[in-house]
Amino acid sequence: MRLFLILLLLVISAPLLATHDPMATDTTVQRQPPTAEHLLGTDALGRDVWSRLAVGGCRTFSIAAGASGIALLPGIIFGLVISAVPRRVIAATDIMLNAVLAFPSLIFALIVLTLLGQGAVSLTLAVGLAQIAPTIRVVRGAAATVRTEGYLESARSLGAAPGRLLFVHLLPNIAPTLFAYAGVVFSYSLLNSAALSFLGLGGEPGIPDWGVLLAEGRQAFRTAPWIALGAGLAITASVMIVNRMANQVGRHPRR
Amino acid sequence: MLLKALRVMILLALTLSACASANEAQPRNRIIYGLTLQPSGFDPHIHGSSELGIPLRSVYDTLVYRDPTTDEFVPGLASSWTVSPDGLIYTFVLKQNVKFHDGTAFNAQAVAANLDRIVNPTTASQKAASMLGPYSSYEVVDDYTIRLILSEPYSPLLDSLSQVYLGMASPTALSQYSNERYQFNQVGTGPFRFVEYVPGDRLVIRRNPDYAWGPSFYTVATAESVEEVEFRFFTDAATRAIALEGGDLQVMGELLPIDARELAVSQDIELMPINVPGQPLQFLLNTTVFPTDDLSVRRALLTATNREAIIDAVFQRFSPIAWSPIAASTTFYNTNLAGTYDYDPGTARSLLQSAGYTDSDNNGYLDTNGADLTLIMIVPPWGLIPDVAQLIQDQWREVGIRVQLDTVPTRSALVEKVNEGTYNLVAYYEFGADPAFLNRYFTSDGANNWTHTVDADLDRVLRDAVDQADPAIRATLYAEAQRIIMDQALILPIRDYVNLNAAQARVQNLAFDAYGWFPILNNVTVSGG
Amino acid sequence: MIKQLGAAVGVMWLAATLVFFALRLLPGDAISAQIIDGGLSPAQIEARRIALGLDQPLLLQYGRWLGGALSGDLGVSLLDGQPVTVIIAQQLTPTITLALAALFVALIMGIGLGCAAGLGAALAQIALDLALSAPIYWTGTLAIWLFAVVLDWLPSSGAAGATGLILPSLVLGFHTAGSIGRVLAANVQATIPADFVLTARMKGLPERVIVWRHILRVSLLPTVNVIALQASFLLSGVVITEMLFIRPGIGRVLLDAVIRQDYPVVQGIVLWIGLVYLLINAAADMLYRQLDPRVAA
Repeated sequence: MRLFLILLLLVISAPLLATHDPMATDTTVQRQPPTAEHLLGTDALGRDVWSRLAVGGCRTFSIAAGASGIALLPGIIFGLVISAVPRRVIAATDIMLNAVLAFPSLIFALIVLTLLGQGAVSLTLAVGLAQIAPTIRVVRGAAATVRTEGYLESARSLGAAPGRLLFVHLLPNIAPTLFAYAGVVFSYSLLNSAALSFLGLGGEPGIPDWGVLLAEGRQAFRTAPWIALGAGLAITASVMIVNRMANQVGRHPRR
Repeated sequence: MLLKALRVMILLALTLSACASANEAQPRNRIIYGLTLQPSGFDPHIHGSSELGIPLRSVYDTLVYRDPTTDEFVPGLASSWTVSPDGLIYTFVLKQNVKFHDGTAFNAQAVAANLDRIVNPTTASQKAASMLGPYSSYEVVDDYTIRLILSEPYSPLLDSLSQVYLGMASPTALSQYSNERYQFNQVGTGPFRFVEYVPGDRLVIRRNPDYAWGPSFYTVATAESVEEVEFRFFTDAATRAIALEGGDLQVMGELLPIDARELAVSQDIELMPINVPGQPLQFLLNTTVFPTDDLSVRRALLTATNREAIIDAVFQRFSPIAWSPIAASTTFYNTNLAGTYDYDPGTARSLLQSAGYTDSDNNGYLDTNGADLTLIMIVPPWGLIPDVAQLIQDQWREVGIRVQLDTVPTRSALVEKVNEGTYNLVAYYEFGADPAFLNRYFTSDGANNWTHTVDADLDRVLRDAVDQADPAIRATLYAEAQRIIMDQALILPIRDYVNLNAAQARVQNLAFDAYGWFPILNNVTVSGG
Repeated sequence: MIKQLGAAVGVMWLAATLVFFALRLLPGDAISAQIIDGGLSPAQIEARRIALGLDQPLLLQYGRWLGGALSGDLGVSLLDGQPVTVIIAQQLTPTITLALAALFVALIMGIGLGCAAGLGAALAQIALDLALSAPIYWTGTLAIWLFAVVLDWLPSSGAAGATGLILPSLVLGFHTAGSIGRVLAANVQATIPADFVLTARMKGLPERVIVWRHILRVSLLPTVNVIALQASFLLSGVVITEMLFIRPGIGRVLLDAVIRQDYPVVQGIVLWIGLVYLLINAAADMLYRQLDPRVAA
């Protein structure tokens, strides 16, 4: 948790540490190895890699956070509502859920990106929307375990209204699981938006973003490995920290 | 239990991978040649990608060939030809004793069968049929003479007939296989037989030992000649050079310029940059949308672009600067255009100022009547265009022009964006040795008239150039067409397209045909096989 | 059982239907992209559309496709006329080969690392974390650089024949091992304080026997589902790995088909993915029943 906060702070404050305009090309200093002037070297168009990395983190995290929000909010609400409906209806929703789950997220992303055009908003939507169905499934699964523990029955026997039942009694009980899952969704979103950049579907040219940086740097990995190195490490470290936090929260639920 | 499962898995994986790589004894002088994308299909009569011609150019012969050194037409399957004075009838006298790989004899009836197939609407030809232009019918005069009859004069016909898309396929095979299956069972008369095509994986061709009817620039096969070529799809540009250096393959095209720069000094790899005739990397300027509807603005854009810096930075100096709507290696190139619109931000600024643009709100961008000078540029992901676009964006910012990059992920997305019509610039180009393709882009009714130009002079000149048979007259007309296009600043040309090929040093005598893309595999030899 | 089968068919039908209509949201189609290069006139393009039935009402197209699919005919590619079933079948050998090889690596790495991490080995935990955190095209690039460029031990591409399989299966297997290992590590951790392990310890059995016989056996059981899930991922095509290591496979075909808007191929592959998913889950359930006496009862 503490590590995650440090990471967040770093990502938010990093743009202040940028030494150059991350967008400004300078063709006289292409693919230069790290120097005092350019801490992490320069990229194919002579832009400062460190500054791009520092500024790009914010965008990368915003996209991942936005996508997580898009996935979690409706996912949790639907999941809770579904877990309150009768068993017969569950079977039908199950089929629907599984059908959506079988829908390759790649196709989904491509459709969204083609319809809305490339850019941060469509990237966020493309990654986020694809995560709604898995979220619903996790919420329902978690709710089902709570159900068997008898909370709901006792609350219902005390005369609680269905809505109140779900959001006041059920939600807090599955909160630790959901919190851990939110971490998973966040890291998945981060990795997936980067993967879309690799496939050339993610970013807009020039605008710094870790996924774009890694994809661009990979093109010159043989000759100028420093371009991709920072972004690769940044993505890996961030996902690792978020995963660890999710693990901890999931393992030590605060009941 | 678990161990058993693992053991079964290993066995399965091994058998499968053995199956996948199992080939009969591999011939000596076998090379692997890297293709850069998986075309949507490999039937030259049906599909239109350049990629398919790389292997198939050597499977098929064409009626005529273009000599790569002189650019003149030389006999192929036709030993001679005549054109009627009105330009409507082409008579071809065919070579005798030519056999398709399946033993079928090549004759006038075979040519007729090919023409029938290509123009048949159910064949759904994407390129070949339209290359025939105003072709209307044929007439088989005797077994070795055939006439092609046109409804109007069409001088690019020989150019079309020299391309693999109009290659001659065995009529036996054409009738034996459906249009869908033929691409897996192709039979031509060329120096290489088609062996197999496994989509997504490989296409293999093997030398035709009976081949003795090649064009003048095909050499006679020797013991060193390449025997078999396996083509594989290296779609990821970043790993192409690695695979080549690692010896996974012997010839690769479309290398990244930065990798080519490295390989240029390698002892084991020979770099072969090939200029490809056709359109240069260019941006088409929309003449009906503000602010590119103003000629002064368009001219200003051209002079505000430092093409040399772009070519240095993005293409590692591997390309000539483009001055014209056709690359210098294209026939009828107008050399007088060299140096026009040379980089000069001062001229650009004064052009814009005289057009009424000033930075009245001091935001760093010029404006007129309260509207900033903002341009929308459609940027496809291929050909390093995104990098070029970013440099242009920065260069134009210097003179006060704002550029908004509109990235499109695919070809059809690009077409959709173009159809919306709100762009100022769109990057697009196609290839070809005869500039007849210009009609599609710059006549008022051209299918790809993405500049939306309507210019009676240009229409007349371009149409005349296709009708006229005399090369000297065509040259004058095309020189004029290029001049008008550049005078009207309809395009922003950046660089002539150069295909960065490289081969391992033991692959020798590799050269490319007049169209730039297609290797002359017949002449390739392998040392130390 | 029949109920389950019904649900499975329902899932596949719904997934295919969703894809069918979602794809039609896209502007343009496979034919419109051909206009630019081929020099086809708009009239020719329209004729092509009519020939392929793309001009018909959407519901009619759908009904036709569904009818065909029910009789095993998934239609033909809009681009080269190949039957979709043939296109998928052609990609099965390379896809299954890579999936099996990667799964093999994943099982060895996942069980080894998961067990070690569960028993408290920090290094193994870090390896598992890495497997779950690094983008595969990043580790893939590093692996190519290290093994194919610096060390020059292994070929980087599938063009090199059977040895070309080693690097992709190692990289893909490593990432797959992350999911398997994490679940296994958690199970091992949870099993250590269990009564039967304590009993075995008190009996004075050697540690090796305790770990292998008692802890691992019980901990592996719940990983069956994870392994099944991973197997279905691998069999659905792994487009990035296929692209990185120049290998054919269902993932690349899917990406190409989506980009070129070759609807029948996309729909067919979605059905394939659904089928794989369902079959493997059913197999995992059966295996689970056989292995776990509690469920069997």
